[in-house]
Amino acid sequence: MLSIENITHSIDVWLYGTFNPTAALLLESLIVGLCAITLFAVLGLVLVLMERKVSAYMQIRLGPNRVGPGGALQTVADTLKLAMKEGLTPDGADKFLFNLAPFMVIVVAMLILVPVAFAKGTQIWDINIGVLYISAVSSLSVIGILMAGWASNNKYSLLGAMRSGAQIVSYELSAGLSIISIVTLTGSLRISDIIDSQQDGWWLFKGHIPAMISFVIFIIAVTAETNRAPFDLAEAESELTAGFHTEYSGMKFALFFLAEYVNIFIVCAIAATLFLGGWMPLHIGHWTAFNHAMDYIPSSLWFIGKTFFLIFVIMWFRWTFPRLRIDQLLSLEWKYLLPLSLFNLLLMTLISIKGWHF
Amino acid sequence: MNASAVVFYILSAFILATGLLAVTSRKIFRTAIWLLFSLTGVAGLYFWLGMQFIAAVQVVVYVGGIVVLIIFSIFLTQQSGKDLPSPLRRRTVFSALAACIGFALTCLLLSRYSSFRVKESDYDFAPDMSISAIGNQLLSTSEHGYVLPFEVISILLLAAMIGCIVIAMKSKPGDK
Amino acid sequence: MAFLRTYLSDIYHGARSLLKGMKLTGYYFTHRKEIITQQYPDNKAEMKLPERFRGEVVMLHDENNEHACTGCTACELACPNGTIKIITKIETSPDGKKKKALDTFIYHLELCTMCNLCIQACPTDAIKMAQNFEHSVYDRSQLTKNLNKPGSKIREGVE
Repeated sequence: MLSIENITHSIDVWLYGTFNPTAALLLESLIVGLCAITLFAVLGLVLVLMERKVSAYMQIRLGPNRVGPGGALQTVADTLKLAMKEGLTPDGADKFLFNLAPFMVIVVAMLILVPVAFAKGTQIWDINIGVLYISAVSSLSVIGILMAGWASNNKYSLLGAMRSGAQIVSYELSAGLSIISIVTLTGSLRISDIIDSQQDGWWLFKGHIPAMISFVIFIIAVTAETNRAPFDLAEAESELTAGFHTEYSGMKFALFFLAEYVNIFIVCAIAATLFLGGWMPLHIGHWTAFNHAMDYIPSSLWFIGKTFFLIFVIMWFRWTFPRLRIDQLLSLEWKYLLPLSLFNLLLMTLISIKGWHF
Repeated sequence: MNASAVVFYILSAFILATGLLAVTSRKIFRTAIWLLFSLTGVAGLYFWLGMQFIAAVQVVVYVGGIVVLIIFSIFLTQQSGKDLPSPLRRRTVFSALAACIGFALTCLLLSRYSSFRVKESDYDFAPDMSISAIGNQLLSTSEHGYVLPFEVISILLLAAMIGCIVIAMKSKPGDK
Repeated sequence: MAFLRTYLSDIYHGARSLLKGMKLTGYYFTHRKEIITQQYPDNKAEMKLPERFRGEVVMLHDENNEHACTGCTACELACPNGTIKIITKIETSPDGKKKKALDTFIYHLELCTMCNLCIQACPTDAIKMAQNFEHSVYDRSQLTKNLNKPGSKIREGVE
């Protein structure tokens, strides 16, 4: 059966058979890098179009429908427009940091991609510390935003960057605690172990109510971490023009935009991995016939389907809820999400020690 | 020189160069960013050693925590974009001297006590670096367990947290 | 305990109100027939404008080329930005009475903000808002319009 696992495996065998190990490793890294960049470009195009269409339908509009069939090429046209634009650097800006910041943001987004399992046996590096690596590296993304905000030498940018920093630093806590509550069930941080442990059902269903609570908390926290509405204070249009990327134009702005959507994809992929079994098809306990039927759907489709479902949910949030004020944002985290997730973690530990989960 | 050594030298050069830039830059925000890169390079070195947990902790604590804290304090205190005054000549000389002496001391210690040197046989010694092993070690009460330091640090952090809350807490009007 | 109860009920009510909002947007997302966008140049034939849409001021004329404007200039006075200019004349009725009547109703479309104040001010409902919105012309002077048709006169019985 043709699957991504077989394809990557045969490429691997062919490379190591043709070249010496160092050259083969280098070539493999090159291929992986190219795939990652391609994935980024495709994700950017697809997700922006999806966002515009979803927002349009939720606001009883039609959305882009002129370029290409049903507006499908709209984002391509937009990208072309952005590529043509002048990348202006303001006079009073710290030029070096100003130009470095978008690359910093996009490189961090690429680094988080490393342990994500896209399909059965398709993972760049099945690192031992999996989810810890993800939460560690994702805390780097705030640096790029702070850098952009400072280097622009603009008050809106600085305010946006500071808000974004406060927001990311606080919401990382509940996101981390939600991850830990699943890790107490799996007993491993490795992504492949986490997925394997969901062979007989996804944690969202196996882990009773605490898993559902931590799923909800995780979704809220990552929505805040990616600076999406209703938590988009960092770029609140009505108050800060565009927040930390006020001064950016052309391709540098496009990189920020791309990083935002790639980050959404990654956090949704992680949520899908932790709570919905990643590429694992829907299995229910020991219903072997049902499980076999589900196995006929390729694992990559399962992964993409779950991830895009979660992305849709996050877009649904964005186009439904009004933006929070900064004090509401912080009190939501520190007074509601954090105590709840700490309590939830205790419950989850109890469940996992007593073995009450399925 | 194999690929691994090349990676090591690239990483070391990166750490040293960014560290040097961090202490010589006249702009305070750039200093913080160079420090960030230096610390990330150290995390890279841990990855190169195969110590992934320590690398991740390095990133979480130093890069995600301390540097962000430094940047925030710069945001809240410093004038935007102004260059720092250049330091006194005397101070420059003394700090260069201190750095040289520290480097010499490290070299001396390393050459004196050859037990610190990596022997060929050490390459085979691969400690169990999985995260569950680290966790067990951290909470084990046996001879090489770290449960006592772990608990002491926990109490220290708890005290710090309570202190923060007490400082930040507004007293209600009326109960003085 | 009371604190805990309010805390939990806060969470419950917050979650409920958020879900209510999501239900509405979810309904719109799944029901395409609710879409109100009109694809303008394509649907010129069957385009439907909202009832209260205001495009321009027109004067109503009946089949005898008669209008209801008495030339009272109430609309001219009501207009906040001088869009309307009314020129009157003195007409002598067959029985020898002299009476003020409308000569020219000048309407500057380029100054009009479609605020509807002139229509509200008109005592005889002589003018109303039309729905035509394709106003672009190549020369600005074409926007200055004469609302009463040539040769028209006031309808009998309108005072």
